[in-house]
Amino acid sequence: MQVVAALVGLVAFATVLGMLWRASQGRARIASGRIEGVALGNRATLLQLSTEVCAPCRATARVLHDVADAEVSHVEVDIADRPDLVSRFNVLQTPTTLILDRDGVVRSRIGGAVRREIVLRELERVA
Amino acid sequence: MTDTQSIDPRGPRVSAGITAVVVLVVIALALAGLFWPAVILFALQGVVFAVGAFAGVQRHPYGLVFRKLIRPRLKPPLELEDPKPPTFAQGVGLFVTVVGLGLSLIVPLALPIAAAAAFVAAFLNSVFDYCLGCQIYLLLVRIKAIRPA
Repeated sequence: MQVVAALVGLVAFATVLGMLWRASQGRARIASGRIEGVALGNRATLLQLSTEVCAPCRATARVLHDVADAEVSHVEVDIADRPDLVSRFNVLQTPTTLILDRDGVVRSRIGGAVRREIVLRELERVA
Repeated sequence: MTDTQSIDPRGPRVSAGITAVVVLVVIALALAGLFWPAVILFALQGVVFAVGAFAGVQRHPYGLVFRKLIRPRLKPPLELEDPKPPTFAQGVGLFVTVVGLGLSLIVPLALPIAAAAAFVAAFLNSVFDYCLGCQIYLLLVRIKAIRPA
């Protein structure tokens, strides 16, 4: 009986953990800073921080590539090449997407896999 | 990432589901006082992790279940995936299993604890599409344990 209770408790714990994680994914929050050394778009830049080992980065790259146009550029950076960005923005998950305005100033960041409508809303807000 | 190597992303999630059930049985055996059966089953799961980690996730034993029984009944996936993250995750699973088995010879409670850690990772991977391997890889890059070329 205690064994069953322990197993049920473990499954419940993992389920709550998963729901909390999922709720945190794709949320946008205000960020600040200035980025150098990245080709900027005329209106805004979607700077995606990825790693070599990152399954959700592919889906995010697809969404951001799709959102990008003549005015908004999508730049994907492997954080191994830009460790400065990792420490400066305290990147704890990949993908992390920074939304830069025309001057390269970071206005917003999205942790985890992005949702198209949130990216569009944030672009509308910052640029 | 080359297309010839890309995999159906649903494969690793099915494998993770099977893994979750197996380690749940390991925990049940350990908590029921059946220490050695639990050790043997966890060690077998460790062998499966090792095959996934070293032979590549494309040759994962549980992946066979997906390819032979499940995939033929599904529509093609929306997109294919790089096998690197799930392969790396198998290595993480192997590490947890080896450490858990080693410690359990000194402290038996280490066995269900390691199996519980493996369960949470496999369950989150399977049900929520959470990629623990990706997180650990990021952590290793951050502490510079990994220096990609």
